[in-house]
Amino acid sequence: MDRNGELTDDDRRLAAERSGLPEATVYGISTFYEDLLVPRGARHVRVCTGTACFAATADAHVHELEERLGLGMGERTEDRSLSLGETVCLGYCHASPAVRDGDVIDAGPDVVERVLAGAAQPAPEPLIKSLLDEPVLTRAGDWSGLRRALSESTPEELLEAVKDADVRGRGGAGFPAGTKWEFTRAAEGERKFIVANGDEGDPGSYIDKVLMEDNPHLFLEGMALAGFAVGAEHGFVLTRSEYPRSKPALEAAVAEARAQGYLGEDILGSGVSFDVTVVEGAGSYVVGEETALLSCLQGLRGTVSARPPFPAQRGLHGMPTVVNNVETLCNIPFIAARGAEAYRALSLCDTPGTKLVCFNERFERPGVYEVPFGMTVRALCEDVAGGMRDGREIKALQIGGPLGGILPAAKLDTVFDFDPLTAEGCMLGHGGIVGFDDRTDMRAVAKHLLRFGADESCGKCFPCRIGLRRAEEMFTNGKPVERARLEELLEALELGSLCAHGGGMPAPIRSLLLHFPDELGLA
Amino acid sequence: MTDRFDSTVTTTCGYCGVGCRLEAHARDGRIASISPALDGPANEGHTCLKGRFAHQFSRHRSRLTAPLIRESGGFRIATWEEAIHRVVSELGRIRDTHGGDAIAGLASSRATNEDCYAMQRLMRAALGTHNIDNCSRVCHSPTSFALRKSFGLSGATGSFADIDAAGAAILIGANATEGHPVAGARIKQAAIRGMQLVTVDPRRIELADYAVLHLSPRPGTNAALMLGLAHVVARDGLVDHDFLDRRTEGYAEVEDLLADYPPEEVARITGVPERDLERAAHIYAEAGEACILWGLGVTEHLYGSEVVRLICNLALMTGHVGRTGSALLPLRGQNNVQGSSDMGALPDTYTAYRSVEDDEVSRMFEERWGVSMKRERGMKIPEMFDAAVAGDLKAMYIFGEDVAQTDPNTSHVEAALESLEFLVCQDIFENETTKYADVILPASSFLEKLGTFTNAERRIQLVEPAIEPPGAARTDFDIITTLSRELGHDMGFDSPADAMREIAELTPDFAGVTFERIGRRGLQWPVAPDGTDSPILYDEHFDLPGGKAQLAALPYKPPGSAADEDFPLILVTGRRLQHYNAGTMTRRTANAELLSSDWLEIHPKDAAALGLSSGDRVEVRSAVGAIEIEARLTERIEPGHVFTAFHFPEIRTNLLVGQSSDVNTSCPEYKVVAVCVTPVGREAPVREMAEAVT
Amino acid sequence: MIRIEINGEETLVPPGATVLDAVRQTGREVPTLCFDVRQAPFGACRVCLVGIEGARGPQASCTTPAQDGMKVDTHEPVARRVAAAVVELVLSELPGPPAEHTELAEVARMLDVGEPRWPGERHPDKHDEAHPYLAFHHELCISCGRCVRACDEVQGTFALAATGRSFGANVAAGLDEGFRDSACVACGACADTCPTDAITEISLLHLVDQEPVR
Repeated sequence: MDRNGELTDDDRRLAAERSGLPEATVYGISTFYEDLLVPRGARHVRVCTGTACFAATADAHVHELEERLGLGMGERTEDRSLSLGETVCLGYCHASPAVRDGDVIDAGPDVVERVLAGAAQPAPEPLIKSLLDEPVLTRAGDWSGLRRALSESTPEELLEAVKDADVRGRGGAGFPAGTKWEFTRAAEGERKFIVANGDEGDPGSYIDKVLMEDNPHLFLEGMALAGFAVGAEHGFVLTRSEYPRSKPALEAAVAEARAQGYLGEDILGSGVSFDVTVVEGAGSYVVGEETALLSCLQGLRGTVSARPPFPAQRGLHGMPTVVNNVETLCNIPFIAARGAEAYRALSLCDTPGTKLVCFNERFERPGVYEVPFGMTVRALCEDVAGGMRDGREIKALQIGGPLGGILPAAKLDTVFDFDPLTAEGCMLGHGGIVGFDDRTDMRAVAKHLLRFGADESCGKCFPCRIGLRRAEEMFTNGKPVERARLEELLEALELGSLCAHGGGMPAPIRSLLLHFPDELGLA
Repeated sequence: MTDRFDSTVTTTCGYCGVGCRLEAHARDGRIASISPALDGPANEGHTCLKGRFAHQFSRHRSRLTAPLIRESGGFRIATWEEAIHRVVSELGRIRDTHGGDAIAGLASSRATNEDCYAMQRLMRAALGTHNIDNCSRVCHSPTSFALRKSFGLSGATGSFADIDAAGAAILIGANATEGHPVAGARIKQAAIRGMQLVTVDPRRIELADYAVLHLSPRPGTNAALMLGLAHVVARDGLVDHDFLDRRTEGYAEVEDLLADYPPEEVARITGVPERDLERAAHIYAEAGEACILWGLGVTEHLYGSEVVRLICNLALMTGHVGRTGSALLPLRGQNNVQGSSDMGALPDTYTAYRSVEDDEVSRMFEERWGVSMKRERGMKIPEMFDAAVAGDLKAMYIFGEDVAQTDPNTSHVEAALESLEFLVCQDIFENETTKYADVILPASSFLEKLGTFTNAERRIQLVEPAIEPPGAARTDFDIITTLSRELGHDMGFDSPADAMREIAELTPDFAGVTFERIGRRGLQWPVAPDGTDSPILYDEHFDLPGGKAQLAALPYKPPGSAADEDFPLILVTGRRLQHYNAGTMTRRTANAELLSSDWLEIHPKDAAALGLSSGDRVEVRSAVGAIEIEARLTERIEPGHVFTAFHFPEIRTNLLVGQSSDVNTSCPEYKVVAVCVTPVGREAPVREMAEAVT
Repeated sequence: MIRIEINGEETLVPPGATVLDAVRQTGREVPTLCFDVRQAPFGACRVCLVGIEGARGPQASCTTPAQDGMKVDTHEPVARRVAAAVVELVLSELPGPPAEHTELAEVARMLDVGEPRWPGERHPDKHDEAHPYLAFHHELCISCGRCVRACDEVQGTFALAATGRSFGANVAAGLDEGFRDSACVACGACADTCPTDAITEISLLHLVDQEPVR
């Protein structure tokens, strides 16, 4: 592909030959992933159209680049010297808007000027801070948890500790990790796998990015501990091609860990083996869904599969597999080192442990913060992140990703925890907080979210594949939105979809209907 | 669905031995579309491009629609009255002057059981001869012979469904995904699900890519391979002695013989590496249930029948017979090659393979038919041609067979047909054989007749007409029974169902068969009087005296044809997916668009030695004939072999095939023909190059 | 055996059976689009929705394992409403109403879905009629995946694949080169299973009265 800047049938035939896959299958795979679809010029510019960048400029940066480069999205100049594409999201939400020029990711208010001048420079990395004296997730990984577990516990004991600690999945679903591990441990299979979901595709979220790139050892330790508890000897991490530094950072850490004896065969003489393979994705949001992720890891189209069977029973290559989010796994070393009690003691409320949250560029002090559960959203936004910058007010927040509900400013006193947010039609999700300031047009937010949802649909199930496009059309066809029809559509999406992509998309739309009906252009 | 069609009839496919059940949809008197029947036992809602789409031949403009009589070098249209009169008077004259044995008949393995039964009754009762044979002679007659000797009954020991229940399978001498596509798909899916498949073929067939192991023995060395597998099974303690003791006889001699076939020796003969041989033996023997499937790559050899006995040996030694998942499945080629033989359209047997030399059986038929018959067997097909050339055979009645294209040694066949005083052909199209006919009778295709076919699983299935025969064509059953009556022997059958009634009355193995009982699922013979059929054979005893299976100690002997200086390459002939045998039907459908001609497969090494590139035209010459064909290079074949099919009369592959045939059954050795290949327009370059070197 | 109740009628099914298996065993029908008895259940169309007591929202019966004591209602109003909404969406992506004899038309009749009320994008016309037997009218494809699965799971040739994603999802033969040039062996399993006649027999194309395009 790199030779021509686009995939040709010859490339596909070669891939089919080498992989042993049928040609049609290769064709299908090659038309699924964003990275393989857009023709590339010698210079390939990708502009971020994620929610944080949208919140910063209302997509003005996108239009400006298109105009000034004279290219539409997905177009390439005749002489193949330059091409323009979009990308969601680059993970520089703290410094939006962001643009990727070749391999340099630049971000900030003047990014477009710099890119046009050919002077893109690497964007500043975000602030990382813990509110806790004893950080769980932001302390440097030192493998002390694994050392202790291998010498002092059995796998069953570690599993019990994780269950006791009641670690809920941090990727969005909130499913108890210990329970998932238990199912996998008990399942029958020749081999078992740990798969870490590093596909942090949620626009506005850069938590896993920071964990993978700046604290890879803590994360790898978490994987190894999962392997020990479950009886898996191999782990895979799926990273994103939109985060070009993740894979190199992880692979370097894996090499170091092997050298130090923490990964590989017979770790620290314990008889336990565990090793990690890092795989980079190719541009699809929905491969963050666990069955789609496993499909992607196997080199196939990232489409969702019906469950049951669950990955714990039949996952990667049909073997029992734990699929955990990166942040979830980063909680484990602390529990292994210090025990479930200590972990539970960290929180102010029922939900134990800590959470990483991140803020977008609209805030005064954007960055990644480790916070205990139980603080209010207001405290987080105003005390921790310093409120909106430039003297603006918070109009609304989207928490947890594009499938999260919209929390209006009036509801800022909601406690930042799983259940309280659910009660407000929102979700904790992955913990990303995108603030929309008072200039924001909420109808534009609806269009933005629905466009993202429709584009990223894997295309398998009918409600999502067709329904999200129809929902988007309702807001873009220039006609007033018929509320009753929209509600019917949202019901079909929510109750009929195969996975949480189509199933979750109604939530933010419903929030908008509830809290900002006058701005939506309803009939 | 029914708005678009006038009628839909469920019938059985007339192409290959899988016997897919099909829904034939007719409109305006033609077949509009065919779809697979969801409840077809062999096909379960699936079929291949032949059964599904290749039906347009039934209304092709070159369909025979009127009787034809030879006149001044050509043919003229005649009425049925005239044609029948001519046939009856000629055959009658020859019978009365020279005796019934001066006439021979060939029954079509594509026709129904009832057609074939009527044919053999006509030959025996109306003409007074046992000179009746069918095309199983040239494909699976070795299988029939060997299975009867080893187990007792001439048919698969189980069903296709046994493949689904097998932990391992050996597929030898059959390119299932092309010759029996639906069975091939079933094998492939089983292999994908984890069944350990071992493929054995000189070519790397498609299923080899799904197998855990592929063996490429030299053509003609299958016996050595089977002996080698058995050797490893015995050597490594994988023999099921309990089974052998309880249910078989003859192992002692076999055990002695096996000592001569250690892996090193087998490797020397076959070219199969020792490790592969050992691995294959273990895969088969160690599986809980295992099947063996084979095709014409086993039978169409000088010692084909012996190889089938060795296959039976292997199954008996490991106890892999008589249970679900452990079956021996010969992939019968034609749609009714099993049935045509079951029906006694054979020179040496009546229905269910009961010998014509058996007094009791003969008398039963004599009583029913009101005639007396000889207690000696009649002529097999190759003997018929020899006798024709010698002048002893004066007439033949051939229906549904194109011997001039499909039988070996075409020149000899043509000479034989020329020599006959009278030849009547009954078919749906003119073909290479009808060129020699004196009378041609227009007959019906499987879409136009009522009756039954028996597939490779011994399953008797109903055939029901979806459309009428075109023009003045008539059903084969009608023609044969009419001719018989005019020859003086009225069978008294009003319909094919009457024929089946008689078959059931006179044949214990078919005692419970009625069209009603056959229904949609068919019946696998033997069928008890109450209609209970037999999906699995030999679960408790074998059909031989004493109930025990017979092992056979048969050593390896080289094939009839071997590569030598003059003919350095071995030609193997086979089939292609899109066409069927002579291509009579498929070449008259759009399948011909998909594959319009054939080519010779040759390995790049051999091609390089000849200075050949893909696409070059070559002459292929054997001891008996020569053809011209396009060459294509492929690495799916081993150096030393070449391969092509026989579907195209323009290519006439069988000109190359000599007289070599199976020692027991005369099945021709299509699979081992020594040939030499030269680019057209050049002298044999190998000799030139050799000379240049010296 | 598993004891399960369908619309009040108890039936027994073997372990591994789905709710749809149980429904069909009692002689009842639930409309489906992506289901074919010859293939493993896929769960894409979301039309086979039923109500199950105790479950949160309608469940896809084809991929829900039958469990002992389950109580299933195939007429549950929310399930039917959502299923009908889905079928309406499907009708809206096609250039015109489906031919009467197709499964899609039958399902629309079963769920009483009329003309779709969704103006909006439709699939672009794309015809492959180069093969002597098989025709592919890509604009009629609803990406149910049955043809791909027929080619994979029944025939084993793997000549077809799902392509693209989101609304543009479709199916291609080989490298989108049409049946003729792909690995297709013309077994017709795809045409046999297609519920919209996107894939159909060339010879049948003129047997269907062409309905006026909207």
